[in-house]
Amino acid sequence: MYCLTTTNLSHQFSDNENVLNDINLQVIEGSIYGFLGPNAAGKTTTLKLLLGLLKRQQGEISIFGKPFEGNRVSILKNIGSLIESPSIYGHLTAQENLDLLQKIYQCPKARIQEVLNLVGLPGTGKKKAGQFSLGMKQRLSIAIALLHNPALLILDEPTNGLDPNGMIEIRELLSKLNHEKGITIIISSHLLAEIEKLVTHIGVINKGKMVFQGTLDELRNKQKELLFIAFETNDNDRAIKILSNENIHPKKEGTKLLIPSVSKNEIANIIQQFVHNNIEVYEASPIRNDLEAIFMNLIKN
Amino acid sequence: MMISFIHSFQSEWLKKQNTLSSWLVIAGAFFTPIIIIIARFINHKQLAVLYEKDGFWNQLWHSSWESMAIFLLPMGVILATSLITQIEYKNNTWKQLHSLPIGFATIFFSKLAVIIVMVMQFFILFNIGIYLSALIPYLFISGVSYPKNPIPYILILKEDIYFFIDCLPIVSLQYLISLQFKNFLIPIGIGFGLWVTSLSVLTWKFGYFIPYTYCIFNFLKDQVTNKAAIPGMNIHYLALGYFAVFTIVSYFLYISKRHKG
Repeated sequence: MYCLTTTNLSHQFSDNENVLNDINLQVIEGSIYGFLGPNAAGKTTTLKLLLGLLKRQQGEISIFGKPFEGNRVSILKNIGSLIESPSIYGHLTAQENLDLLQKIYQCPKARIQEVLNLVGLPGTGKKKAGQFSLGMKQRLSIAIALLHNPALLILDEPTNGLDPNGMIEIRELLSKLNHEKGITIIISSHLLAEIEKLVTHIGVINKGKMVFQGTLDELRNKQKELLFIAFETNDNDRAIKILSNENIHPKKEGTKLLIPSVSKNEIANIIQQFVHNNIEVYEASPIRNDLEAIFMNLIKN
Repeated sequence: MMISFIHSFQSEWLKKQNTLSSWLVIAGAFFTPIIIIIARFINHKQLAVLYEKDGFWNQLWHSSWESMAIFLLPMGVILATSLITQIEYKNNTWKQLHSLPIGFATIFFSKLAVIIVMVMQFFILFNIGIYLSALIPYLFISGVSYPKNPIPYILILKEDIYFFIDCLPIVSLQYLISLQFKNFLIPIGIGFGLWVTSLSVLTWKFGYFIPYTYCIFNFLKDQVTNKAAIPGMNIHYLALGYFAVFTIVSYFLYISKRHKG
């Protein structure tokens, strides 16, 4: 069952600037959904639309089986969020920041200390949040998002500003919340490596369009489709002609020619033909095809 | 809805602690009374006669309100209102606030309510300050007796209510402007400009069109003065009208904002 879906969600900031095009997110209940894309791909705009921070223009948003429009307050009761940079009151302490949200959520007061412990900020005392390091601010923002025990967490690049150790801690915390409490998590990032160990599902957005959505395994299956062999020669134009005669249609990328994956024997055969035609071969190598390469490939195309 | 408003108000009230706006209320309320106390200690020889006079309280009330009505109250309201909305801009917290499970109307009106309650708080503290400015010289300077006339509570209460109503248009217009601009200097600059305009139109027969003039007109109304063309109509109704109009416009501008964080 889907916890969140969007149907043909599109958004424009001005007449000529289409920042989102037909985004169809499908976030399964209980999953950790990695929302990936390079900077300015439309991740934050999408997440802001999900939270009602931007006025919806086209498309539908449904959360917990209900349309967002008309159910904003009841839906937000079960959502914790962190959008972009930390959103905290710098003139107040961590406790005071949570106090004022406790008034809104009307959750037990004891929950404040619980979430502070959970994010590793148990003893900041009278220190104002404005004096916190970026990492501490980020942790406090996560504590704010968790205060009311939400069923869905929407986190926009939550590990920004954290040191490697902090990143691991936050990942472990999110994983624990997902496994132990069944919280559905949408986490955006521009780095696959940062979240690939955490997420169960992935959506890749580029230039306002979804270019992939599925499980991590489905993304790995793309490896086979995307495996290439790169050749570097002293005469690529003639090399292309030779390959065309073999019914292979290479793609030029810089000084290299890329051909879809072939067997070792075929590679040897191609090299022999090049040499036979007095073409010098400097390199014949498989293209790096880990998840990061697949991701890069998706966003390049 | 009401419960949600109360929770939101409590949250907004907590937010303003340790801010400049909350200190401004206290400092603004006690500024004039402290000046009066200092002046009385300096001129302590004339106090015995002054405290014996029949119109002691009225005179004290009048001298306390002079700078307040013309300068401190309008400027204080301009500053405090702009500072309250600035809390969200400065901390980048509009997005957090608008992601909470409360209606936009609740957010808008609870913030406005906090400003209005702060103005009330200011009036209470100012009245306490006025009383202390009479009491402290009496307690510390020998030969000064407690004023023999009773405190004119009804007059003070009535005038306080008038001044409160008269500053509401400033609250609502400053609130409207400061919700629209991230840059704190814009609402302050517009507010200051309107206050200066108010001073310069006091003698103009249509000066009452400027909504920032009402506190000044209320102070000058009973005086034989050529400083102002006191309007013939009830300015308090005008103030309430402006307040209602500005609040409604402000609300619609606020809820129709495309970007809420």
